[in-house]
Amino acid sequence: MRRPMNRLLLASALLLALPLASAQQYEFTRPLERLTFSDELEQYQFERATLGALKVSDPLEQLNRRIYHFNYKFDQHVFLPTVRTYRKVTPRPLRSGISNAYANLKEVPTIANSLLQLKGKRAMHSTARLLFNSIFGVAGLWDVASKMGLEPVKEDFGQTLGHYGVPPGPYLMLPFLGPSSLRDTGGLVTDFLLERDINWLDYPETSRRQPALYGLEVIDTRHTTELRYGQLNSPFEYEKIRYIYIKARELQIRD
Amino acid sequence: MPMKAGQALRVLACLLFLCALPGLVAAKDYGYPLANPFEATIAGTPGPLMPQLPATRDIKQKDYSFNLRPEREHGLPANFWAVKRFKYRLARQKHEAPLIFIIAGTGARYDASGMEYLKKLFYGAGFHVVQLSSPTSYDFMVSASKHATPGYSPLDAAELYAVMQRIRQRHDDLPVSDWHLTGYSLGALEAAFVSEMDSQQQAIGFSRTLLINPPVNLHTSVSNLDRMARVRLDDLPLGESFYQSLFDRLARFFERKGRFDLNEAMLFEFQQSRERLNDEQLALLIASVFRFASADINFVSDLINRRGLITQPGVRINDGTSLTPYFELAMLCDFNCYLRDQLLPFWQKRYQPDGSLEQLIHATSLYALADYLRQADNLAVMHNADDIILGEGDLEYLDGLLGSRLMLYPRGGHLGNMQFTTNAADMLEFFHAQTYE
Repeated sequence: MRRPMNRLLLASALLLALPLASAQQYEFTRPLERLTFSDELEQYQFERATLGALKVSDPLEQLNRRIYHFNYKFDQHVFLPTVRTYRKVTPRPLRSGISNAYANLKEVPTIANSLLQLKGKRAMHSTARLLFNSIFGVAGLWDVASKMGLEPVKEDFGQTLGHYGVPPGPYLMLPFLGPSSLRDTGGLVTDFLLERDINWLDYPETSRRQPALYGLEVIDTRHTTELRYGQLNSPFEYEKIRYIYIKARELQIRD
Repeated sequence: MPMKAGQALRVLACLLFLCALPGLVAAKDYGYPLANPFEATIAGTPGPLMPQLPATRDIKQKDYSFNLRPEREHGLPANFWAVKRFKYRLARQKHEAPLIFIIAGTGARYDASGMEYLKKLFYGAGFHVVQLSSPTSYDFMVSASKHATPGYSPLDAAELYAVMQRIRQRHDDLPVSDWHLTGYSLGALEAAFVSEMDSQQQAIGFSRTLLINPPVNLHTSVSNLDRMARVRLDDLPLGESFYQSLFDRLARFFERKGRFDLNEAMLFEFQQSRERLNDEQLALLIASVFRFASADINFVSDLINRRGLITQPGVRINDGTSLTPYFELAMLCDFNCYLRDQLLPFWQKRYQPDGSLEQLIHATSLYALADYLRQADNLAVMHNADDIILGEGDLEYLDGLLGSRLMLYPRGGHLGNMQFTTNAADMLEFFHAQTYE
């Protein structure tokens, strides 16, 4: 039933479109004439903005760059091949169940940090997600909350610090974990300790006894993280990732 | 199947509400929604107006690599390790099928988003697909190009053609019924030169070649892009940076939305909001992307050829070395600057000792192929009347050479309508292929 329907739609779309592509009836519209230009020096916007963007506090640059290359190589030779194998040997529903379960545990720091930032609505939102997914989604294996229209949000302690005006401090490239800052690294540690303290669903306690669970968590994290070193295909990727990271965090803190 | 039903619904909704509206104005109107060429160039095609494509998991594909420049193995700084081997991607069908080579645009790698889209489109239509990086990309320059000074089309095309032959040799077990070729933007210009070369040498024997939004006069195109970095931004407070103002707009937009979520659909929503960018800001954003590409080309070409314009020969660079000072120098030099400082002297030295800039421009643009293009009835060009890389007279020139082999669309900016259903269907039709279902 659906296929012929699709074809019909496509055919009607094509019919509507077909006489248009017959060419040569269109004249060049001179798009650049819509713009106003300036050759005054203070208008060298691209150069000014780019030079400004390269001024980032990065006192450990030498070390950071070495760690960037280390992460890149580790990714290529160990991490990504492991993720590929993981994807091959686990059926899709199991994999997304695992991702959901770990995402569910991350609601705990999100709630705590929303409360710390006095974002009551967001804390309620995440609490509802945590409860729905833990109870109806069987320990978070199914993300029923999203299906109910409660999309995931994320707040971490780095964001809480930023919310109260703590500057990012020096840029850091963390081994295995990637781009961060002094402030956000402190946040990572705090969130980790907090999760352990709250011990939701007894996972943090259990994983201490079953280190294999840590391994699974690490693989799942890489599986769900889209960043690929080399993706920007530029000799200046380090600078670009650094700027994007700092700016993305600013946006996350302000939302 | 629910995916398909969802897709059908969206197309239906679009036909009824969105696309029907301009249709009321004039029946022959083209359904691509963005009339602003700068917006189209950045935002592309809204999801519901894209063709049906196979999912990545349904594509049998793999990345392969060659060691094409063994002499560079030890001559390059250590931090180039990731691009020392030439890489490409091959998606193969289970049975005999036509194969299409796709060449990426300026600075783009074989897996850039435009490349992935074209792969899915042609793979879905039953083709084997080979994706190739642009000769101007970081990886191609380092791993495949002998002179690493891209921009002279005959030479770039020769290097691409050699790579294609190597790939064909390597996969001689692949049952190929027909050979095809396409490329977009600068990749389309190079495809034209490859096609012409192949018509002479017949090493592959391409059946059909499609050029998607090629520059006609390469100098016009790069000058347009260079010039767009010189727009006047009136509402920017003196001393504030353009990027900062962009991020501020994004931040205000997300604050109002109450949630931070960066995705493609958001782009369209953003342009509907009061934070929307005006033409000058959009133009500068496009220009910035190309300036970053030219920075990469400047730096890599200078370094490999030890020209000493950006990196002093003999300077030691390792994994820990800061490249920021080189980045700062390289990004000050736009395409015209690269042309004058690196490409022209290289071309004069190698090809024409007293050749002028005008002669180089002619030799590297579609003009050089006029005789071939006039009679190549297996080659077509897809272009837009509002493409920002074109200049006065370019479309008339193409029209005169190609006649009905020019598929011209009234809007789409630079490549913005490449993913539009009509364009997708026209591309497949040119290669005598069926749409994916």
